[in-house]
Amino acid sequence: MSAIKLALRNLIGAGLRTWLSVLVLAIILILVIWQYAIIDGWDRMAIRDMIAWEIGGGQIWTADYDPFDPFTLEDSHRVIPQSFNDEIEKGNMAPILITQASIYPGGRIMSILLKGIDPHQQVSELPTDKLLEEGEDIPAIIGTGMARDSKLNIGDYITVRWRDVDGTFDATELLIADVFRSNVPAVDNGQIWIPLENLQEMTQMPGEATLLVMDQDYAWEGEEDGWILRDHDYLLQDMRDMIKMKKVGGSVFYIILMLLAMLAIFDTQVLSIFRRQKEIGTYMAMGMTRGQVVRLFTVEGAMHALLAVTLGAIPGIPFLYWMAKVGYSMPAGSDTMGLPIAETIYPAYSLGLILSVMLLVIITTTIVSYLPSRKISKMNPTEAIKGKLQ
Amino acid sequence: MENNEIVNIKGLIKRYPIGGGFFTALNGIDLVFGTGEFAGLVGPSGSGKTTMLNIIGTLDSPSEGTTHVLGHSVGDLSQKQAAKLRKIHLGFIFQTYNLLPVYTVFENVEFPLLLLDMTHGERKNAVLDALKWVGLTDKIKSRPAQLSGGECQRVAIARAMVKKPAMVLADEPTANLDAANSHHILQTMEKLNRELKTTFIFATHDDKVIRYLKRKITLEDGKVVQDETS
Repeated sequence: MSAIKLALRNLIGAGLRTWLSVLVLAIILILVIWQYAIIDGWDRMAIRDMIAWEIGGGQIWTADYDPFDPFTLEDSHRVIPQSFNDEIEKGNMAPILITQASIYPGGRIMSILLKGIDPHQQVSELPTDKLLEEGEDIPAIIGTGMARDSKLNIGDYITVRWRDVDGTFDATELLIADVFRSNVPAVDNGQIWIPLENLQEMTQMPGEATLLVMDQDYAWEGEEDGWILRDHDYLLQDMRDMIKMKKVGGSVFYIILMLLAMLAIFDTQVLSIFRRQKEIGTYMAMGMTRGQVVRLFTVEGAMHALLAVTLGAIPGIPFLYWMAKVGYSMPAGSDTMGLPIAETIYPAYSLGLILSVMLLVIITTTIVSYLPSRKISKMNPTEAIKGKLQ
Repeated sequence: MENNEIVNIKGLIKRYPIGGGFFTALNGIDLVFGTGEFAGLVGPSGSGKTTMLNIIGTLDSPSEGTTHVLGHSVGDLSQKQAAKLRKIHLGFIFQTYNLLPVYTVFENVEFPLLLLDMTHGERKNAVLDALKWVGLTDKIKSRPAQLSGGECQRVAIARAMVKKPAMVLADEPTANLDAANSHHILQTMEKLNRELKTTFIFATHDDKVIRYLKRKITLEDGKVVQDETS
């Protein structure tokens, strides 16, 4: 006997009740796959963008540097060792000097990080070639986020004030040479990029840097006093933690949806076992063992999930394929979250993701179906045939 | 046990716990049914007819005494062995038909064969034969809700007969039917008994059924008070 065949007959015969449960399960299945794929896609894009724009193949920090503590900047600068200079010459490293500064856009004061970078560098996607413009003015590049916050455009001059290595204030004007678009807030928000030599001169820190970004194809394995290697694991950890939290947060919503669907299936099963006592007794009279009847009812319940997987594929595959093509446009304002977020996120589907979500739904549904079905094994067939509640 | 014996009951007692005590539904029954009998257990409600039918059908077991069905002691059968015996050798017809509501007539009749090791072609032929016996070949795609009571009971007979069992147990098969349908049903069963040599045992208090019986066993308060063969 094929329990699946019988269960399928019973389910199709049950009509609307079956299809409602299947519909809810199918929607949940598609949404869960889509949501996890979006987060995975975001994760991948964020990592790729961070590597391309900010962290390269890793960074080497001065020992005191802490990007989350601006007070450390005062001491976070050192003369670039010769071994590093050799790598900079080869294009394997790009030095960056960072100092705090203030600008005065529209007559108001705004604290920023002034970052000096080698205009010839090829390690980051920052358009530092725009810093090569010749002339009296000091060229600067900013991101679109910074341009929006400070209302600066290409060609604008902005007054910047900073303190040099001795703590003496000084000020000058910068020419906005370019506004670049990046998904990585860490190279955009509250930052102005100028040529490294200019900043070294302004701060009286010749030949010094705060950190060095390594090329993606280069791995530094040496040791330099006062410099610390920060690899991808370290530099991406915070972002990965945040994305993981987003994933957990999103999961709560789908767990609630799943619980509702499972409750509906549990309820349907309990109701079925009460309503179909006569049918259960008839099955036994015709020669089915109690175990076979329990299996039939369990398979019937589990078939909701199998039908949801099968029928959910009809709208699900085109929908998920279409989303993979057009991507998901992030709502306005999401770029201020501090995480690298592209305007459009393309979901990343993997076989593992799809199979694990499908298995989760099928296994959960089967367990939920089995629990009430166990009652059948205690039924007296002579009472069941008469349809007496037991 | 003689070769033509299909059921052999000796000293059968069946008690049910009620409250702090017991209710004795069958009290010392001794009976033998032979192959191809068309017999009935008759008597008023509560006389023990259905209880006895359930024990013969291995759906229940004796409290005392022995009941052998096709050489198997009902009291000693495991749940799986009893299910196997019912699956292969026994057919049931119930007062309320007990058809599976979501199945078509064809699927209802086919159901017992799904439990057996049969191919699709064998099942199809057997189902069509069974529906031919009861005259319902034009209703194979109908569902029970679309049939009259008489038609439903004919489907139930076809379902009981489709696997050509050794014995069919019918519990008040005409209780929900009018006179015309009752006679039609009984004539069908009588014909099947005659042609296929299937043993029929009824539990009934319907005079229409009693008139057709070749052997009438009257029960009262769980005891056989009369056993007459016509």
